[in-house]
Amino acid sequence: MLTAGQKKLLVELKSSLAEAVPEGQISESDYAKKGYHLEVRLDKGGLRRVAQTMLDKRFMLETVTAVDFIDSFELVYLYATYYHQYCRVLTRIRIAKDAQPYSVSAIYPAAIWLEREVYDFFGIRFQEHPDLKRIINPDDADYFPLLKNFGKTKFTDQIDDILC
Amino acid sequence: MLNIKTIDDATINQRVYQLNLGPQHPSTHGVMHLLLTLDGEVVVKIEPIIGYSHRGHEKMAENRIYEQYLPNPARMDYLSGMIFNHGYCMAVEKLCGIEVPRRAEYIRVITSELNRIASHFIGTMDYAMGLGAITPFLWGWDDRENILDLLEMISGSRLTYSYGRFGGVRNDITKEFYDGTRKFIDRLRSRFWDYENLINQNVIFIKRSKEVGVISKEDALAFGVTGPTLRGSGVKYDVRKNEPYSAYPEFKFEIPTRKEGDCLARYQVRMAELEQSVNIIEQALDHLPPGPVRAKVPRFVTPPEGDCYVTFESARGAAGFYIVSDGTRVPYRIKVRAPSFSNLFVLTKICPGHFLADIVAIFGSIDVTVPEIDR
Amino acid sequence: MNITQLPYIKDIYGFLGSDVMSGLVGLLIIAALVPLNVAALVLVERKVAGHIQLRPGPMEVGPHGILQTLIDAVKLLGKEMVTPGLTDKPLYWLSPIIVVAPAFVGFIPLPFSPLVQIKDVNVGFLLIFSFSSIGVISILMGGWASNNKYSLIGAVRSVAQNVAYEIPLLLSVMPIVMMTNTFKLGEIAQAQSGLWFIFYQPIAAIIFFIATTAETNRAPFDLVEGESELVSGFHTEYTGMRFSLFFLAEYTNMVIAAALFTTFFLGGWYGPVLPGAVWFFAKTYFLLFVVMWMRWTYPRIRFDQLMNFAWKVLIPIALVNLFITAIVLKVL
Repeated sequence: MLTAGQKKLLVELKSSLAEAVPEGQISESDYAKKGYHLEVRLDKGGLRRVAQTMLDKRFMLETVTAVDFIDSFELVYLYATYYHQYCRVLTRIRIAKDAQPYSVSAIYPAAIWLEREVYDFFGIRFQEHPDLKRIINPDDADYFPLLKNFGKTKFTDQIDDILC
Repeated sequence: MLNIKTIDDATINQRVYQLNLGPQHPSTHGVMHLLLTLDGEVVVKIEPIIGYSHRGHEKMAENRIYEQYLPNPARMDYLSGMIFNHGYCMAVEKLCGIEVPRRAEYIRVITSELNRIASHFIGTMDYAMGLGAITPFLWGWDDRENILDLLEMISGSRLTYSYGRFGGVRNDITKEFYDGTRKFIDRLRSRFWDYENLINQNVIFIKRSKEVGVISKEDALAFGVTGPTLRGSGVKYDVRKNEPYSAYPEFKFEIPTRKEGDCLARYQVRMAELEQSVNIIEQALDHLPPGPVRAKVPRFVTPPEGDCYVTFESARGAAGFYIVSDGTRVPYRIKVRAPSFSNLFVLTKICPGHFLADIVAIFGSIDVTVPEIDR
Repeated sequence: MNITQLPYIKDIYGFLGSDVMSGLVGLLIIAALVPLNVAALVLVERKVAGHIQLRPGPMEVGPHGILQTLIDAVKLLGKEMVTPGLTDKPLYWLSPIIVVAPAFVGFIPLPFSPLVQIKDVNVGFLLIFSFSSIGVISILMGGWASNNKYSLIGAVRSVAQNVAYEIPLLLSVMPIVMMTNTFKLGEIAQAQSGLWFIFYQPIAAIIFFIATTAETNRAPFDLVEGESELVSGFHTEYTGMRFSLFFLAEYTNMVIAAALFTTFFLGGWYGPVLPGAVWFFAKTYFLLFVVMWMRWTYPRIRFDQLMNFAWKVLIPIALVNLFITAIVLKVL
C-alpha cells in the first residue's frame, strides 16, 4: 500500500520522466510482486536523460545489469532513493547485439564500475566510458562469460545434468 | 590534511612511484589488490583491482534449479551468509507469491541478527587490527565463537549456511539454541564495557581515526554507498526500516548514525548496531510465536515469467537479488547486488591526499568482503 | 668495583694481566647473558600476548610451553637463507651483522650489582647511545639493500624516528647527570641508596621510557615494521638466521633499555633482602613486562603524529625539565 508521500513522489517522478524522455513508456508496477514501483521502458535511447532526472531527484544508482535474450540484450538500470520514502525505479532498454549505448558515468560515478562489469560479462561496449576494461575476469580473456551460448546453459548442449 | 594533488596524466613527475598493496597482504580482507601511486608517503591515486576470487556465481545460477542454488548466496558474502541465504529465499518467494509463516520469519530474523553481530565483530576488530591493536581482534573472535556454536546447533554449518528454504526455514530451533542465545546475549552485554575501555576510548585509536577518510553525502549518493559506511556520513538509511521486509516491522530498534563521515564514525556506527541487534534478538525471543516453520511449497518451485528485485540489509549494506525467470525450474538470470562493490569504489574518491598508513585504516573502516565483490 | 678486583680471580690468572682477563670474562658474561635473555624474552612475550588475548599462548613444547624458544631457535637455524636476486649483496650481508653490535656493546657498562659490572666505562651511557646510532645505519642498509619498496619505506621511517627520539632520550638523562655529577653508571646507581631518582625526576622518567620505546621500535611506535601496512618493514626479505639476528638485536636492545631505566630511575641494585643482581633483573623484567603490555594494548601511531609528538611535545617538555632541575640544583 502506497503512502501519501510515495504517491506524491510517484506522480512527480512520472511527470519529470515523461518530460525528460517523452518516447519512453512509464508504468507503475506492484511493489509487492515486483520490488520496484515504476518501470520505464525505453526504446532507442534516453538513458542519460533518465539518469540526470534521477540524480536531480536524489536517487542513487543501485545496480546496472544486462540480460541476454538470444537475439537482443536488455539493459536494466535500477534507481533507489533514501532521501524520500522508499521508491525504486527500473529502467529497461532493449538493444541489439552489437549496439553501443552511452554510458551514464558522467552523471553517476558508480556507473564506471557497474558498466565495466556489464562489459566484462556481456561484451556490451559503452560509449564515452572513461575506463572500459575488464574488471572481474582475467585481463586477457577473450570470452564474455554470461552470454547464453557460452559455457553450460540450457541453450547449449554442454548442460550439466540438472533436475529439469 | 594535506592538499589533495589529483594526478593528471600529463603532469606525472619523476617523484611518483607505484606500490602494490596486495593481493597477498596481512591487512586486506581477502584477496584485494590496491594499486597505489605514491608521492613519498602520500597517496596520489588509488586503483582497486578485483577479480581474484571470481567463482562465477551468476553463471552457476543459469544451469541449476532454484533449490540447487540455495548454497550459493552464503558463499558470496561469507560473513553474512545467513542474511544472503534468507534474502535469496525471500526473492524466490516474492516471485512465486509464497507466504512464509510467522514463526519462520521470527527465526529468520533471529539468525540474521546473530549473523550480523558476528560480521560486525569482524568488521570492527579487523579495523582495529589494521591500526595495530591485535588484542581486540582476538577478543572479538572469542565472542564470535559463541555465535558460530549457536548457529551450528540449528543449521549444521559455522560459516556458509544453507538454513533457509523457500517458504520458511529447514528445521525448528531447539531448546538448547534458545537457552544458549539468552546466555549469549547476557554475556555480550557485559562485554561491551571491555571493548569500550580497550579501544573506544583509546587516545591513539581516536587520533588515527578522526577526520580520516571522510565520505560526504554527495559522494555517497553518487557512488551508491549503503550500509554502515553510509550511516557514518549522516544518512539514516537502513533497508530494515526504510523498506521493511520479513518480521522487522514488529520490532522496535533504532538506526544509529553519525554525521562526521570519518573512520571513527563508521566504527562507532557498527558498535552501536551491535547493541541494536542484541535488542532485536531479545524482542524476537520474547515474542516467538508458535506454529509451523515451513510453508507448503511444491518440491520444485516454478515461478511465473517475469522479473523481481528484492533488497535486504546485509552487514555491509543494501544487498539485493534481481531474478529474471522464464517460467521454468531453472532461473534465467540472477543478478546479485553486492554492497561492497559500490562501497569499494568510493575509495578512489576519498583516498588521495592521505598517508599510506591511513589507506589501511580507511579500507578497514569501509569493511568490504572481497568474495562478495567478485562473486 | 671491577670484577677483576675479586681476589681469587686475580690470583689464579694473574699472569695474563687484569685487563685482558676482565675482557675475556666480560665476553663470556655477554655471550651467556644475551642468548639467555632473548630466549626468556621471546617466551615471555608470547605468553604475555596470549594471556592478554584470552588464550594460553604456547603450551605444547615442555610444561606450559617453556621449551618453545629452543624449538624456535632450532627451526630458524634450519631454515634456508634465501637471498633475493637483485639485492645489493655486500650491504645485504652486512646489515644483520652490524645490527647486533650495539646489542653486545650495550651490556658492558651495565651495573648488575656492586660486584658484577664488566667495566665501569667513564662515559657510561654515552657508549650505549652512540652504538645504538650504529644500529640505525644498519637498519637503513638492510632496507635499502633489499630492493623492495616496502623495506625502503620501513627503513626510511626508522631513520627519521630514531633520529627524532634520540634527542628527548639524552635530554631526559641530563638532569640525572647534573644531579650526580658523573656519567658512570655504577656511580649513578650508587647515588640512589637513599631515595630512588624516579621520585626526584618523574617527568624525566616518563620521557625516557617513551623515548626508549621509540628507539627500540616497539609498539606503539613500531610502524617501522608495522605488520599491517608494510608486511614486515625492513626485514621483509630476510629469512632464517639473518632474521633471527634482527630479532636478537631487537630484544637485546629492549633489555638494555630497561636496564638503563632501572639504573637511572629505579635504584639499580638496591633492594631489601635479596642480592643486588636479583633485584636488578627483577626490576628490568618488570619494565619489560610493562613494555609488552603496552604493545598488546595500544594501536600504532601514524608517522606524522609520531614526529609531531617527538619534536613538538617531548623535546619542549624535556627542555623545561632540564631548566627546572638546573635552577633547583643551583638554589638548593
